[in-house]
Order: sequence, then structure tokens, then C-alpha cells
Amino acid sequence: MDRLGEMTGFREEQIKEACSIAMTAHKSPEKPYLLEKSRTSSDVFFSFPGSWSVSNWFTRQPFGEIKIDRSELMSPKGNDNVATSLRSIGRDELATVNEGFLRRLEMILSNSSLQSEVEKANTERKQIVFTGHSSGGAIAILATVWFLEQYKSRMSPLCVTFGSPLVADFIFNHALRRENWSQYFLHFVMRYDIVPRILLAPLSSMEPELQQILYLLNQKAMFPIQGYIAEASKFFETVMRNASAVASHAACKLMGNTNPILETVASFIELSPYRPSGTFVFYTGNGKLVVIRNADAILQLLFYSSQLCSENELEAIAEKSLNNHFDYQSALQESLNMQNVVNLDHLEGLPLSSNGAAAENVATNMALNDLGLSTRARLCLRAAGEQEKQKLSNQQRMDKKKADIEAGLAMLEDYKMKSALCKVGYYDAFKISKDEDDFKANVKRLELTGIWDEIVEMLNRYELPEGFESRKDWVELATKYRRIVEPLDIANYHRHAKNEDTGPYMYKGRPRRYKYTQRWREHALRMPVGSSGESCFWAEVEELQLYRTTNPGAFEDIRERILNLEKKLQEWIRDKQISNDVFLEGSTFTKWWISLPHQHKSISCIQGLMNS
Amino acid sequence: METETSCQNNFEMSEMLATFLGSTPLLEEAWRLCSIANTKFPGAYLVEQIGSVAYVAFSGRQRDSGSDQSSRNLVPLDAENAGLFAPLYRHSEAEEPIKVHNRMLKLFLSIFPRLQIQIAALMGKVKSIVITGQSIGGTIASLSALWLLCHLQSMSSPISTVLCITFGSPLLGNEALRRSIIRERWGGNFCHVVSKHDIMPRLLFAKIVNHVSKIQTLLNFWHWCMVSPHVIVTGLSSQLPDDLKDAIFHCVLKDLELLTQAEEPLSGSLFRPFGSYVFCCEEGAICVENAASVVKMMYLMLATGSPSCSIEDHLMYGDYVAKVSKQVLKARNFHEEGLPDSSYEAGVALALQSSELIDKEPVKDLCFSRQNSNLRKEVAIMAKDCLQMAQNDHKPNLTAANLAIKLSKIVPFRAEIEWYKTCCDEADDQMGYYDSFKLKGGSRREARVNLNRHKLAGFWNSVILMLENNKLPHDFDRRAKWVNASQFYKLLVEPLDIADYYRTGMHRKHGHYIDHGRERRYEIFDKWWRDRSVPDEENKRSKFASLTQDSCFWARVEEAREWLDNVRSESDVTKRHLLWHKIDMFEKYARKLIENKEVSKDVLAKNSSFSRWMEEWKELKS
Repeated sequence: MDRLGEMTGFREEQIKEACSIAMTAHKSPEKPYLLEKSRTSSDVFFSFPGSWSVSNWFTRQPFGEIKIDRSELMSPKGNDNVATSLRSIGRDELATVNEGFLRRLEMILSNSSLQSEVEKANTERKQIVFTGHSSGGAIAILATVWFLEQYKSRMSPLCVTFGSPLVADFIFNHALRRENWSQYFLHFVMRYDIVPRILLAPLSSMEPELQQILYLLNQKAMFPIQGYIAEASKFFETVMRNASAVASHAACKLMGNTNPILETVASFIELSPYRPSGTFVFYTGNGKLVVIRNADAILQLLFYSSQLCSENELEAIAEKSLNNHFDYQSALQESLNMQNVVNLDHLEGLPLSSNGAAAENVATNMALNDLGLSTRARLCLRAAGEQEKQKLSNQQRMDKKKADIEAGLAMLEDYKMKSALCKVGYYDAFKISKDEDDFKANVKRLELTGIWDEIVEMLNRYELPEGFESRKDWVELATKYRRIVEPLDIANYHRHAKNEDTGPYMYKGRPRRYKYTQRWREHALRMPVGSSGESCFWAEVEELQLYRTTNPGAFEDIRERILNLEKKLQEWIRDKQISNDVFLEGSTFTKWWISLPHQHKSISCIQGLMNS
Repeated sequence: METETSCQNNFEMSEMLATFLGSTPLLEEAWRLCSIANTKFPGAYLVEQIGSVAYVAFSGRQRDSGSDQSSRNLVPLDAENAGLFAPLYRHSEAEEPIKVHNRMLKLFLSIFPRLQIQIAALMGKVKSIVITGQSIGGTIASLSALWLLCHLQSMSSPISTVLCITFGSPLLGNEALRRSIIRERWGGNFCHVVSKHDIMPRLLFAKIVNHVSKIQTLLNFWHWCMVSPHVIVTGLSSQLPDDLKDAIFHCVLKDLELLTQAEEPLSGSLFRPFGSYVFCCEEGAICVENAASVVKMMYLMLATGSPSCSIEDHLMYGDYVAKVSKQVLKARNFHEEGLPDSSYEAGVALALQSSELIDKEPVKDLCFSRQNSNLRKEVAIMAKDCLQMAQNDHKPNLTAANLAIKLSKIVPFRAEIEWYKTCCDEADDQMGYYDSFKLKGGSRREARVNLNRHKLAGFWNSVILMLENNKLPHDFDRRAKWVNASQFYKLLVEPLDIADYYRTGMHRKHGHYIDHGRERRYEIFDKWWRDRSVPDEENKRSKFASLTQDSCFWARVEEAREWLDNVRSESDVTKRHLLWHKIDMFEKYARKLIENKEVSKDVLAKNSSFSRWMEEWKELKS
């Protein structure tokens, strides 16, 4: 049997210490955080107390969530205009997080010594561990992400939470996985603990009860308390019913639902945007631990592991759902003694029925039984596994097409070289398109378009592995593609005068395959947003030229734009991102530049380049 | 071509979908209001607002028109109904007309004036509307929802969604109705809850002409029961004579059996289900969309029932709905031995268990005469097939992605035609590609262009077919990629279609192109282009468009040529005047296009049909 430590990459001592400090933080709610240095290792623990007022959990109806850019915390420090990592890159969809928890972290950072202590620990090369129990765990998660985004330290921080509510949506998880940060997060959840499930229900469905329950939990944090069965049952039912809606909606999608009624009905109800991220460890309740990383599967587990076996169980389970929230320390001790840990990795092959599992699956099957997973629950886990597998196979399929892309680009390079010999450059040759070579280049362009559009389609539906958009080989290939082929798209656009019926290329006509891949490069190199626009050079030239033809006298209006373009062109030529063929005699650019006022040309920064 | 989709890892999800529905408060709320409407609002409906959702619940007790001889009659849904359903039938001129149940339509129309006012009052107050009803009330709810969907389409309304939930309601219309609902992408707005044995939603599958009076008795019985909703239902049907129950039950069962054996949906005036059906049983529920599967399920479930329960089940929706939503919280395992290991097979086994169609020992009290264990086995097998059929339907996003790949493979053919146009534009004969293609149809280069033309037409026709069969994502025709690609295709290739039409003399056989020869795909692409979300900005063109913006321009030239020929030979002064006027109008139109540079330069080529026509016209005028 594997040990928890080996399976998660966290040391057991570390987890135990984190748990103890996380629970201690509740005892001094007036302190924004507790700092504790490990006596046996270089670990420095930062632990956050929970908060028990509804307004700290839900700042608004229905789920109290906001887009990540509504706070300054999550953008890289010092780099102006570099986009946050907490988004999907190509599609550029921002992560959504719980506002209450985020604002609380903001407040802690501005009103306490947290930042300076963290920086100190970082410079001392300490292993930073953020931890927390209950909503303190949520703060710990956000603090960890804040640190990862702000500090490029050699040592990544760790995050261990116990019974933490969910804090963010699926894009947050997508980003964590893409950045390879997922591995730093470890979340413990008791089988029946209600708290990690609360944010799956909208505030409107449980507002009065929630205040009561949080009050009760706050009391419990201090001393055990009995009673409140009726409230607990109602609360449990509400949360679970909503969790069921979220889980079954997600499961339908995982299973490839096609019935349009799913989305119609979904639009009538409030479905929680919150999704798990990081590694989860479920306590089965009898000393065993189940480790799981697939976020879709975790969502299903959050629901199914709390299902009732029979209706008469409701009151007992509802009571447990509150008591469980304070069982982490003892349960951890028990399970570390037992060391019965199961890793749920190959989800697509999970045994379906509770008794008949093959020999190699016996341990897994027992763990699933201990979590009370029915056949239906197991099918959902399988569906989550299949989806992950499908993403990998999509990626493989695209990897196989790399050779086709390379070959196509080589052919277009060749076209570019040949065109330069005719003193026009391939941009203008393609724009005129009067030779068979131009026609062939167009066909090649269209073939490549097909491949890249397929990638874009898959990215839009999140059907590629999360890491795809930051893979070095693909970012490089995409940049190469963009630099060679986008000028042809721009030429084609203006050849068909689409700028006149559709609007300027940059605003109306630029295909997503170029927008997405430009963002890939900017993200990979942490460049400011929009700074890798070398492939759009011709679009700006066309716009400026159009302006000159329609307003012949007006130079001052576009002076800034011209100066800017010249400056950038100089850099792009220097860095070999744009080749010299733009200066050829017959090129649109040359003709346009020559038409500029003499006074401007004589002092232009590209004067030397033009004349050489 | 490599396979783009992998199908081996399917899941059966009819049950998961029902679980999702059961997790929401929608079914319970809808039923609660239906039951109030049944007791307190006979012959009418009730409106209630819950949060940002309005509920309209029609009573299951509706006034009787008395003319029940025509109860099963279908009447066409057309302009006669004050155009209330115009979007439904506008595209279907050539097909079988859309028909609905006569009496239901009359009931709806009698309620409509008041309903319209009340719905108008809800606008601005609510985001969405649930329209619901039990029994006949549900069928009227369906018609109301259809009207509302038609109505909302024509206006920009704050109400974004309409959901119709019916409980044990009779069928509404024919196959054409089902098709046009799918075409409008409204299938997902209808949720029909049907309890396991309820005979009411199955009634109109049967030829019930011989049983009209019996059915009237049955309806009256049901109405009487609905007055007091809390009555204990089991055994209630003993108040009806056995021969009546048997006659209706066996009549419906027999005709349903015939229907399920038919390969194709039978044409003619037959009722067909549309939307999704949620079948509720003691053990659970499943949600099925495919119409053939729905019919089969209806049959299979009824076949395991009895005359008495088929009548009592119509009154049990409260229990079923409560059960479905209660079950959500409970872990339900597979009770039998031998669960298959394949995810799909296991899912089917679970769905069968939920729908109680699994092959197991017959329950004692079933009094189905031909009953034996063989039948149960057969039922299980058929039910499996039936779920499979529903499954094989489609995966819209995957289909769309694969279609994008196909598009990129077909696009080089278009590029070749584009190249052909460029060559013609530059050629010495100065005819432009329209006239070149029309004149030299047989030569080698033109033959190749012609081949490409056919390939592209085949591709785009297949796209439309898929879209209309609901195989593509619902917003497909609004995705810029497809709108732009189809527009480009239309502008480039339709002139060649026109050239071909007039070269082969089709206009003499069938009439002019625009009215008689234009392929439907172009009209659809016109609509896509018109409906695209980009507002048309007035941009002045600095040079001639690369493609003439009116893809029918050449067809108009051909018509104008005919007028010009006729005007010379016409002796009747009024007719001559009329022709003259038409020609004049065309010239004005063409001049405007040219002035705005909306024509491509091939139109103005020295030897193009248009240039030659202009010269002749000028000559005639002078």
C-alpha cells in the first residue's frame, strides 16, 4: 500500500503540522493570520482563521462570485500590462472567484504584516505553507495563488486545507493545471462534511438557514454542541439538492449530452459556477483515504459521497454533516496510523459494481464502497476519466499534424523567397495574385487554416489538455505560422476589399487563430498584452495608407501612429521577426512610405533601412 | 480519411438527464400549480410568479366542445390562425402541411385573447416563463408555448426562455409539426412528463373512432377525480365498467404495437411526439428525445401495465413527481446480478431498471392477458434497442468540428474557382467569368470549374441537411466562420449556377432563375447573412468589390435582356410601357450598384452580357 506522502508529494509531518495550526487559528479569530515555523524542517506555516458570517461567504446573489480582474492581487507585480495567469489563454476567459474570500485576503494583506513575513520567508529560502480550516482554507488557497502570481521564487509555496469551501470556477482549475501549480494544493474533505459543498447552492435557497448553521459551526469551533437536527436536515437537503443539480448537469455534459432540454432547464435555475481544483483527499470515515486529482471527478465525488443509503438516514447524516467538519485532526491521525490510501487515477476503468471487482481493483473497490459510491456515481467518475483521456487523444492527433504544418510553412517560405526575387515581396504578390504560384500559395494557406481552426475550435470547448497552450513546441510553431501566414490573410482581406464592407482587419477581420496564438507567445514570455503584434504589421500599413488616400493632406492626425509603427518595425527587423522584403521597391509599404512628407522621412528612424 | 470521432466510449444518459430535471425545483413547482389549476380553475389557467420565473398552469379540466366526432381530426396550422404561428410554417411550403389537433386548437384560440394580454403584462417583470398543465391542459400549454416562442422570435424581448412542462398530455400534432419545431430549435423547450402506464398521452396513437363515447366517459371520470386531488387513487377505476377499460386499453396497445413495428414514421394525418419525454416509474425516471424511441417506450411501458392502472396512472403525477425529486438524494445501486462492465451497457441496464423494463420475474397483479416471461425478455431487448436508437442520434459539437475540417478540405476547390475568375478578369476576350463560363461550358477548363461547382454545392447542401436535422449546434448559423464562408461561396459561385441555368435553357422550361431555379441553399445563406449580429455600417468603397454583392445580379441581367428583346417586338402599348418601365428600374438599380462599387469588375468588362445589354439599351433609348 502506498503512503499518503509518496502519493501527494507532501510530507506527512507537514500535513499534520498544517492541520494542527489550521485548527489553532480559529482560537484567535482577532488575528488575521498565524505564523508558525516548524521545529523540524524549514517549513513556515501561514494559517488563516475561518469567518462565520454569511456576508463573508456570499457578497451577492446568487453565488457571490466575481471575475479575477476585479482585484489587483492576481496580476503579476511590476510588469505593467502583463495579463494574469488565471485565465484561459487563447480564449482569454478570466477565472471567477468568490468575492468575499478574495476581499478578505486583500484586507489581510493591506492591514497586516503578512506580505512582509511572506517575503522574508521567501528570501530566507524557507518552504512556505499556507493552510486553513473551513473558510480559512479558502483564504489559504487564494493566498497561495497570489504568491505564485506575484513572486517568481525558486521554491513554490504549498497549500493544505481542511474542509475548505470551494473558491473558484473551472477556469481557475484550468489555469492551475496549465501552469503546473495544481500539485501544490492539497485539500482534505471528510466524507459527510457539508462545508466543502455549501457553495454549490445559491444563497437564495438557504439564506436564513446558512446564518444559523454558520453560527452553529462557529460555536462548535469552540466547544461541542448538540441539537439543531431540524435545521441541519433542512440545510443538508437544500445543499445536496443543489449539489445534485450541479453534478448531474456536469455529468450530462461529460457523457456527451445532446438533448437541448439540458441547457433550457439550466437557464431556469441557478447553477453554481464553483469547481474544485488541486489534489483532493477524501476521508472515507473508517480510516481510509482516497486521493484524486481529476477536477470533474472530484465534483461528482463531493455530491455522491454524501448521498443517503435510505431516507431514514437523513437526520443522522445531516448531524454528521456538521460534526464531520471538526473531525479533521483526529481523522488525520487515525488514517496516518492506518496508512490505507487509494489513488483514483485510472478513472475510466473503475469497477462499476460494489462486489465484483477484479483482483487488482479490490482495494479501489473497497474504498469506493466506503465512500458509498453507487453504480451511477461510478459511471460519472468513469465519464470524467474518459473526458481526460479524450483530451489526451485530441492532443496526440494534433501532434501528428505538426509535420503537415511544418511542410506547409516550408512551402510558403519558399514562395516568400521567390516573390522577393521579383522585387515585390510576397505580401504584394499575393495581394495581386496573378500567377499560378499565388494560387498555390492560397491553397496552402487554406489548408493550414483548416488545421489551426480545428485547434481553435477545440480550445474553445476546452477539449485539449490544459497544458497545451503553454507547450513550448506549439508556441514556437504557432509563432512561425503567424509570422509567415498572417500577412497572406491580411493581403487577401484587402484584395477582396473586406475592410470596406466589414471594417478594419484588426477590429473586424482578424481570425481567432492569430489572436489566440499571439496570446500564447505573450503568455509564454510574460510580455505585455498586445506587444507581439509583428504579424499584423501589414494591417496597420494598409490602414495608414487608406487614411492617406482618403485624407491626402492630413499627416499630423496619424503622425503618432506612423512614428509608433516605424519604431516597432525597426525592432522587428532587428529581431528578425519581420524580414527585409517589406522594403522592396514594389511593396505597398515602400510606396506608402515614400509618399510621406519629406520632412518626416528625413528624420525617420527607419530612414537608414529604407535607403539600404 | 482518419476517424475524427471516437465512439467506443459512449454513455447512456437518458437517466442522468432525468436526474438533473429531478434535482431542480421546476417539476415540483409546475405540478403544484397544475394541481391548483385542476381544482380551482376549471376551463382556465392560473398565473404565478416565483422569483424571476412566471408560471402559467392550465387546468386539466377544460370545457368540452361537444363535437367529438372530429376529436381526432388534424387541422392545418396556417395563416388562418391569424398568423399566430407564422414562423413555424413559413419554410415548409413544399412539404406536408403542419397540422394540429382540432379541438385543442379551438380551446387554445378561445383562451388566447386573455392569455395574450396577461403574457404581455409579464414582459419586463420576469426573465423566463414556464407554461404547464396536466392532461388536456398540457396540450393547450404546448400550443401556448409554441405561440409564445413564435411571438418572441419576432421581437426583442426581455424574456429569454420558455419551458413547457406537460403531465400526461395527449399528443398535439403531426410529423411536420415535429420537424418544424426541430428546425426552429425549440425541441429543448418542451418537457412531457408521462407516467409509466398512463393511457392519456398514448390515446391519440390509436384509431379510436369506434370508442368515442367510451373515451368521453373516461374523460368525465378523470375530470371528476381531478376536482379533489387528495383522493386515494388506487382502485378508483373500479367505478368504471371493465369492458370500457379493456376496450380502450387494448385498442391503444394494439395500434401502438403496429406503430413501433413500422420502419419509417407513417405519413398522413398521424400524431407524432415532439420535444423530450420524461418517463416516470416507481424505480426512477428516464428522459428521451428521439421520437421513434418515445413511441417505443410508450408501447413497452403500456404493455407491462393493465387497463386499470393505465387509467389510474393518469391521476398519479403528484406521487411520481415527488418520487423523482426525492430519489435524487439517495444512492441507488444496481440490484441485479451481472452488471456489464462496459460503461454504456451498464448505463443501459440502469436505465432499464429505472424504467422497470428489465427482464425479471413478472409482478403478480399484472393482468395482461398474453403475459409470459418471453414477453418480458422481449420487452427488455426492445427497450435496449430503443435507448441505443436515442443514443445514436448525434453529437453536435463534434459534428461541427468535423465539418470545419471538411470545409478546409473543400475550400481549395473554391480557391480554384476564384482563380478562374481572376484569369477571366485578366483575359483578352474581356468577357468576365460569367459569360466565359456560360459560353464555353464544354471546354476543359470550364468542365473542371463545373466539377468544383458541384462539389461545393454538395458540401453546402449537406451542411444545410445536417442543420435542419438538428445535428449541429444550435447557434451554428450565427457563427461568423460559417456565415462568412457561406456568403463568400454564394457570391462567387451563384453567378456560375445562373450561367449554367441559362446556358442549358432551363429558363425556357421552368421560367426565370430567381423565381424558379434558385437553389434553396442560397436563400438560406441570404438569411444567415441578413441575421448576422454585425450591424451593417455604411462604408464607402474605394474600389470595385472583388465579388458582386448581389449574387443574383446576372439573373437580373438575363431577365432584363428578355425584356429588351420583347420591348422591340411588343405592339401593345400598355405592355410596351410596362416593359420599358421595368427595364428602366433595372438600369437604375444597376447604376446604383456600380456607383457604390458593389459590383465586381467582371460586370463592367467590355464584352460582358451586362455591358452589351447597356449598349443595346442606350441605342434603343436614343
